[in-house]
Amino acid sequence: MLRSILKKIHFWQALNQTIKRQGDNSQELSPSNLSDNIQENLKHLQTILGTSSDIVVREFNFGYEGKIEAAIIYLTGMTSSAIVNDSIIKPLMYDTRLFSSNELLVTNNIELIQKTMLSVGGVKRVSTIELLIDGCLYGDTVLLVNGSQEALVISTVGWEARSVEEPKTEGVVRGPREGFTETLGTNTALLRRKIRNPNFTFETMQIGQKTKTGVRIAYLKELVNPRLVEEVKRRLKRINTDAILESGYIEQYIEDAPFSPFQTVGNCEKPDVVAAKLLEGRVAILVDGTPMVLTIPLFFIESFQSAEDYYSRPYYASMVRSLRYLAFLITILAPAAYVALTNFHQEMIPTPLLFTMAAAKEGTPFPAVTEALGMGLIFEILREAGVRLPRPVGSAITIVGALVIGESAVSAGLIGAPMVIVVGITAISSFVVPPQADAGAILRLLFTIFAGFLGAFGMMIVLLGILIHLSSLRSFGTPYLSPLAPLSLEGLKDTFIRVPLWAMFTRPRIFSGHDPQKQEFRLMPEPPSEDSENR
Amino acid sequence: MQKNSKLLLIILIPLLIVLNGCWDSRELNTLAIVSCLGIDKAEEPGKIQITAQIIKPGEIKAPQAGGGGGGKKPYWNITTTGETVFDTIREFTHESNRKLYLPHNEALIFSQDIAREGVEKYVDFFVRDPESRRLTKVLISKGKANEIIDSETELEKIPGINISQLVDKSVATSEASDVNLQEFFTRLMSKTTAPVASVIEVSDQGKEKIARLSGTAVFKTDKLVGYLNKAETRGLLWVIDKVKSGIIVVKSPSGEGKVSLEIIRASSKITTEIKDNNEPYITVHIDEEGNLGDQMSPEDDLTISPVWRSLERSQADVIHQEVMAALKKAQELNSDIFGFGDAVHRKYPELWGEMEKQWDQYFPNLEVEVIVNAKLRRTGLIKKPPEQE
Repeated sequence: MLRSILKKIHFWQALNQTIKRQGDNSQELSPSNLSDNIQENLKHLQTILGTSSDIVVREFNFGYEGKIEAAIIYLTGMTSSAIVNDSIIKPLMYDTRLFSSNELLVTNNIELIQKTMLSVGGVKRVSTIELLIDGCLYGDTVLLVNGSQEALVISTVGWEARSVEEPKTEGVVRGPREGFTETLGTNTALLRRKIRNPNFTFETMQIGQKTKTGVRIAYLKELVNPRLVEEVKRRLKRINTDAILESGYIEQYIEDAPFSPFQTVGNCEKPDVVAAKLLEGRVAILVDGTPMVLTIPLFFIESFQSAEDYYSRPYYASMVRSLRYLAFLITILAPAAYVALTNFHQEMIPTPLLFTMAAAKEGTPFPAVTEALGMGLIFEILREAGVRLPRPVGSAITIVGALVIGESAVSAGLIGAPMVIVVGITAISSFVVPPQADAGAILRLLFTIFAGFLGAFGMMIVLLGILIHLSSLRSFGTPYLSPLAPLSLEGLKDTFIRVPLWAMFTRPRIFSGHDPQKQEFRLMPEPPSEDSENR
Repeated sequence: MQKNSKLLLIILIPLLIVLNGCWDSRELNTLAIVSCLGIDKAEEPGKIQITAQIIKPGEIKAPQAGGGGGGKKPYWNITTTGETVFDTIREFTHESNRKLYLPHNEALIFSQDIAREGVEKYVDFFVRDPESRRLTKVLISKGKANEIIDSETELEKIPGINISQLVDKSVATSEASDVNLQEFFTRLMSKTTAPVASVIEVSDQGKEKIARLSGTAVFKTDKLVGYLNKAETRGLLWVIDKVKSGIIVVKSPSGEGKVSLEIIRASSKITTEIKDNNEPYITVHIDEEGNLGDQMSPEDDLTISPVWRSLERSQADVIHQEVMAALKKAQELNSDIFGFGDAVHRKYPELWGEMEKQWDQYFPNLEVEVIVNAKLRRTGLIKKPPEQE
């Protein structure tokens, strides 16, 4: 429905937008080749890059008797000055003079310079201004030599970056503590270290007209469904926008159900989790400048899985897994159920409990729905304040929150004590399943409002609506409720319970059709048999 | 077409929610939760007097450290008269600012007068009204029903709950019938099986008036016709397979003391047969198992085989006597409280059509054979009386 309305709006905007967008594009540079005059090239560069103060243009002469004019251009802060000084300037300016008699060194042969003089790993020859500027903006150093129509882009990337730390979200008791950082290269390396496999492939793209953000698609070639990779690339190529500042931007451009409260693209901050998903045949999207890596496709039940489930032994893991489902149900249903019971279905409450609840309700001024919505609102405000506040002020929030919500509201007779308990349990439960916390908050609101109008009947309406919606959702062609609907018995081994690792033989069959088996059968550990002991 | 239906959906779905309004939504603090209802005849002839026990939730809360509580009663007994049951129940709104809320009603007490007159017209409302619960206990009061409701309670805060639990706990003795509205109504609907209900009365123990159960009220169709005492009540329960526990006191084999036997398991089966003379013949099989519960007699070992057997025999005798007493009383009152008629109906549906009309003639002279198979199992933690060890 929303989709069709939006299509109409798009129709009205279509003409204006295409004209405007084309106007934008015309300002972009048409490819222009380098000339063989260095001064001309520098001038050209400066007109494009402007006079930004972080651009360094260092002109120098080198070669026999310093006859060759050259210049390096780089951005301070983006490059490692050690590499620039020791591996570019020093070999060119100093070493070439030592071998002054060598006639080859008088040449402006840029290929020779690339091959014999620069002691840096990544060197590319480019012949257009655009590629040159791209390299420069990425943190590389550009070497221009007079008399050559080509320039060298030397990899000198080196900026201050956060080191690999334990992520603030997704903490574990047992398991690796490292998390992704804001640097794309580091993140790639973190993944590569987990999966040392020649099949493990990264493909790089640049998205964002203005930001030119580096984006990498990662997958295991032998496991992934090639059509999935194609689809991911197709959707990524569609993105024609100014800026990509976080992977959330990408997520919103490529997700299947933009109007759904449920996310259909996963995100994760831990290399071990992403590696596990890649090994199931999923695709990951790494975005420069953010530690959040996207994984595709996403199942609903993935929100209830945690890395630690697989690292600890199966019994407790299964129990905790079931608890998460319970907590999710509590967080979306508890206030609604309380409202429905107290306002519509008092006969369903056991008699002594009813007395207690009625006693708490005695003398409170607001209807139960208002209490539930109000308390929910206050909780959301407190939570938001807690997230945004500077750490030292945080304790103030806790005290005020606990006092206002817990003690004072009840003793002042504004709100019944059971409601405080219900909202408290709801709030705590909402943190048990962080990936669904956003959806949970919205569903909770919806449930509570409907329960206030229609009681359990209203809750049922919403519940059925959500079930229908969930079962119609798809994430990159994969049913969102898989393996529950369509039912897959293999998949159920890792849904509500987590069976031992040696009993999980397959990857999710639904998108790894051609090679689902991931391990041998009969891997169950056994004590040595008596025969072997005797031997 | 599709566009229109979508538009319709957009309009209709919000209407579905909004037009319902807050249908049937009631806040807890607008309810007068009834824990117990008593139905009496009003002094004005032809009118009904109903006493409702309404919970005061504010008083029921455990008194807090800083005060509160205040020793007030956590309930409010309020009496009103009216023309019909429903009318009277609504009449309460003149005196109570909250509407009576019946689903948590624990007990429905009819006074003896009402029951003698015929209880059907008074029960009608409670089985017709969707708010009223069929698990409500049905009781007959020997005096006025409102006196029962006004009785004191010590352990429970609410007399209504106390009364309901008295009936529940009667399992321990099996000397009162635990009848709820559903069972009462089912028996009322049967052509031959007569309803029963526990009898409740106020006993003056010292100054306090305390409600106590005493036996069973026996109906004929919907009219109260008589009472069973405790032993007869258990006789009834033996037959209808409702004995769960209880104590049987027998004379010790030497005849010099008493021994209590605890009922552990009991089951019964009614079989019917039509004899050649077209008379129904009923056999009741009762299987019972018991434990030796206490010994107040001089024997030094009751577990010796012949002694043990004679205990089992006297246990069976007591059961047999109880059943026969109940049967005798029922036949005197000509009220088929055992459901023998329905048993015949099930076995001989083709003959029942004729027999049903004459059941009132058959029942008083019905031949009933009671076969009791009673066993004794264990002796508790000791085998012999302590002093003789």
